[in-house]
Amino acid sequence: MNAGVRLHGVRKTYGDGTVALDDVSLSVPPGRFVSLIGPSGCGKSTLLRLVAGLEAQDHGQVSVHGVSPEDACAAKLIGLVPQTPALLPWLDVLRNVTLPRRMNRRAAARRAEIAGVEARAVLQEPDMLSLLARAGLAEAVHRLPSQLSGGMQQRVAIVRAFGLRPDVLLMDEPFSALDEFTREALQEQLLDLWDELQTTVLFVTHSIQEAVRLSDTVVVMAPDPGRVVDVIDIDLPRPRGQQLLEQGRFHAYEDRVRNALRGAWRVPGAA
Amino acid sequence: MATTLSRSVDSRPTRTQRGVLQRLRISLWMPPLVLISVLALAWQVTAVEMPFLLPPLQDVAATLATELPYYLQNAGITLFESVAGLAIGFVVAFGLAVLTSESAVIRRAVMPVAVVLNVTPLVAIAPALVVAFGFGAAPKLIITALICFFPILINTATGLRSVPQQVLQVYRTVRASRLELLLHVRVPSALPYVFAALRIVFPLSIIGAVVAELSAAGATGGLGTVISTASSMNQLAVVYASIFILALLGVALLGVITLVERRVLRWHRGTTD
Repeated sequence: MNAGVRLHGVRKTYGDGTVALDDVSLSVPPGRFVSLIGPSGCGKSTLLRLVAGLEAQDHGQVSVHGVSPEDACAAKLIGLVPQTPALLPWLDVLRNVTLPRRMNRRAAARRAEIAGVEARAVLQEPDMLSLLARAGLAEAVHRLPSQLSGGMQQRVAIVRAFGLRPDVLLMDEPFSALDEFTREALQEQLLDLWDELQTTVLFVTHSIQEAVRLSDTVVVMAPDPGRVVDVIDIDLPRPRGQQLLEQGRFHAYEDRVRNALRGAWRVPGAA
Repeated sequence: MATTLSRSVDSRPTRTQRGVLQRLRISLWMPPLVLISVLALAWQVTAVEMPFLLPPLQDVAATLATELPYYLQNAGITLFESVAGLAIGFVVAFGLAVLTSESAVIRRAVMPVAVVLNVTPLVAIAPALVVAFGFGAAPKLIITALICFFPILINTATGLRSVPQQVLQVYRTVRASRLELLLHVRVPSALPYVFAALRIVFPLSIIGAVVAELSAAGATGGLGTVISTASSMNQLAVVYASIFILALLGVALLGVITLVERRVLRWHRGTTD
């Protein structure tokens, strides 16, 4: 089984001596929604950048669908949703979400060479329009990013990533700049889209509630050096609507994650 | 609340009064008009008292009226030199900016040379270029291109590198080629910077052309040549008529670039307003 995302014995240090990740191993089966949570400096964003092929590890292996992140990117298996929407201000919403598709046109051929990747038709424009409509952006298709609210801009960024039909979706605190109300609405829409397209998701977040609500698995990380301290499977039924947030079993999972995070603060050896 | 609101409205001019005032835009054109009138009056007084300092305005107007084709023909020559020189400078500077943004080695090689070129007084190079290239169009185009070169290079290079890191990351994860990134992301990002450079460089291009003409007077014409010939013959009215037309040329070029910018950068105005 080599699908999904795998990290084995991964170590990453930066020039100033910070050990961002130390001997991290993680295996994410295909189609799972996995959140990475932990205090600042625990290496969760570094882990995401390694999987995205934006940085290289010093030791160990990272693979996406059995191939290196570089090859996965070349075949457009990876979609990235950064912290800011990162939209191009001169393109309207539709052009923003279709631009990545128009780049690197040889990706389809490369995709075919990777074993086990199903040959999927690239999303055509009508599909993109219906995807935008599902994200509540039907009215905004021909508007410029500056004419949208922050929440709408972030939804455009999510549709842009989903539109690639990626095998792995990497999301780096995509909702952290939004107010709580918008954030919860967007969580619901994200789950809705994910339900339909069923990709593997790695989701970096600071919010315990967000992690528990969205994920099949929550990976708790700790800093100095960056490492995985706990992996908690969230066994809650889907769809996870608003009412679930008030239930006892939801709070029980939140407490488990919170306790694991508390443990993460303790410096090993000092306790 | 309602009463305070209505009272504050009452103390202002009525709606119709304000409409008329706004349509006339008195507050817009009145101040410069007053200043220009004062300056013109001071000019006339000076011209009457000390005729060797300034020509009377009616003399300037008279030579403009009687010799208009002569001025227009020479203005055309100067305009061609400045626009063509600017175009050459733009092509070279833009191309170099792209190269410097793509390669750190080229950036390190080019930038110090460009800075030295920028601090060199180009007015001083003009006579040397006339010696080297003669009295034809070549030295004028070279000077104009050189003067326009640096602002375009610096602004375009800055603009090409102004793309936010997270935008680049999104397109790197789909392995967009360098050319795709350049055409779809970097160049459009640089456009506001390019237009800022053009607004600086269009007036500069006229300076470049005139300076070159002054250094190679009597050759291919142009308003710089007219000025240098007229001043050697003490024809102050002709000198100032030429200067007046040069100023008009500068305003016209600036107007054109502003119009083009408004069209091309509609998205950018939307983000800054």
